[in-house]
Amino acid sequence: MLETTPQSLTEHKPQSIRSLYERHGGMLLGYIFEVVKDRKLAEEYLIKIFCDLSVQLNDVSHTDISGWPQLQKFTREKLLSSAEHSKFVGLNPGLKMSGAPNHYLEQLTEEQRQVFCDVYYYGKTIADISKTLNLTEDLTRKALKEAFAIMRKGSEN
Amino acid sequence: MKINEYIESGILEAYVLGSASEAEANELFNLKAQHPQIEEALFKLESDLERIAEHMAIAPPPNTWAKIEGGINELVKTPQFEYLIGEEPKESSRGSRSRKSEQFIEVEAESGHMRIRKIWRWVFAAVFILGKIFLAFAIYYYLENRHTQEEIEKLKIELESKRSR
Repeated sequence: MLETTPQSLTEHKPQSIRSLYERHGGMLLGYIFEVVKDRKLAEEYLIKIFCDLSVQLNDVSHTDISGWPQLQKFTREKLLSSAEHSKFVGLNPGLKMSGAPNHYLEQLTEEQRQVFCDVYYYGKTIADISKTLNLTEDLTRKALKEAFAIMRKGSEN
Repeated sequence: MKINEYIESGILEAYVLGSASEAEANELFNLKAQHPQIEEALFKLESDLERIAEHMAIAPPPNTWAKIEGGINELVKTPQFEYLIGEEPKESSRGSRSRKSEQFIEVEAESGHMRIRKIWRWVFAAVFILGKIFLAFAIYYYLENRHTQEEIEKLKIELESKRSR
């Protein structure tokens, strides 16, 4: 059974964390920036998240972080469990900031953007969002699907 | 259930983005096993999500990896690993605590504070005031006693002088 010891941390750290950083570091910084809306703070979180990840990768029960979806969910959980979480929720992902590559979010309607951001950045459930927006769950899922399709189309061009 | 309708319903997007309920996720796992087109659609969605994130990426400053490495090395140096953000997962937390308790005896509580009932502040205030009163009485009786002793000494001297006459 694996245990988190200084030795195991040093043994497993360099390749896996480094390769994750090289593949997804920029994507993760872009994601964190959309949540915290502060470049310096986003960079600080990026460092902390990779440090936490080095612990997580040595944890027996959490060895499945290898791709972007898992990394994004891990980051979202960390951001939402941080002390400053309440500050982020008031912020508005998709709001244009200088230097922010979020023009894909600007292509969405207000409703689509809200659904996408609530799910992607804040991890809210479809049921919660549908109550907030006063929509049925089916319509909320449709809005999410449409938002995703627009974002996908934008990224293909 | 018509699979195309299911795929078009937005449940797959909700799952990939991590907002599907447990029931929806279970249903999805069952259907995925039966219908390969669902697995294919999920794979495509995950790839699309990654591509969207790539397009929204911000290049980290050049010294970021050095800072991460420094942070990891700091974690290696510390005997017990703690997550820098948020709470440690419960299972891991339990494991690390049991490991820690095997090696160390806790002589200090985790927090330097203790919680007591508010009524105790009146007890502490009363003890403090009574202490002050007793101290004042003690000083008063000490001075009184010293004064009396001096008076007795004087009287003794007077008596001795009268006897010697």
